Amino acid sequence: MLVIRRKTGESLLIGEDIEIEVIDVSPSRVKLGIKAPGTVPILRKEIRLAAEQNRQAARSITAASIEAVVARMTRL
Amino acid sequence: MAVAETAHFGAIDYAEESVVEFPQGIPAFETERRFLLIQRESSAPVVFLQSLQHPDLLFLTLPVRIVEPAYSGCIASEDLDRLGLSADRQPEEGREVLTLSLLTIGQDNAVTANLMAPVVINLATRRAIQSVQPDSGYAVAVPLRWDGLKGKEA
Repeated sequence: MLVIRRKTGESLLIGEDIEIEVIDVSPSRVKLGIKAPGTVPILRKEIRLAAEQNRQAARSITAASIEAVVARMTRL
Repeated sequence: MAVAETAHFGAIDYAEESVVEFPQGIPAFETERRFLLIQRESSAPVVFLQSLQHPDLLFLTLPVRIVEPAYSGCIASEDLDRLGLSADRQPEEGREVLTLSLLTIGQDNAVTANLMAPVVINLATRRAIQSVQPDSGYAVAVPLRWDGLKGKEA
């Protein structure tokens, strides 16, 4: 991982088409401005994590797995 | 009463009160807006979320307090806005909102529950979102403790 220090107002350039500017810095939070082509997805990391887990959850639900889980619940 | 076609339950009757609307879907399923909330005595305390748009899209969930009795997440103000709730305080679980943890069934039917990003339903309006809370300290796949579920009511 490349680690760079930037002050408010300074920018990073990624490739030919992406710029990230530090707009504001506070003790607990940084505000970033991102310029990128519309075709480049920009996502908070935790949203990607949630998306992956949701996909996995949906895929994991089958007649057999539902039956097994519900049976275990009701046997309690 | 309307009828929903579902892969798991077959054709089922439902009332509009059981329909939950996700204005922005959920991550990876952004176009899935309408789900049926299904709770049956035979499968309690599981709460099923059945897509009304795709018969084969079904999520299994458990109320968060059943997965983790001491659960205390913090819904972000943007998410409270999206739910149509006051942004100046957390809503009351069970009275104003129903908070559900999506389940993933793994190998050997081992179950994990998503406590990092619970589904939150505004009980008055049936509007729902998935509230992604990276700072909550909870994981996205918490192994379900079966012994902890004994005797739990939904």
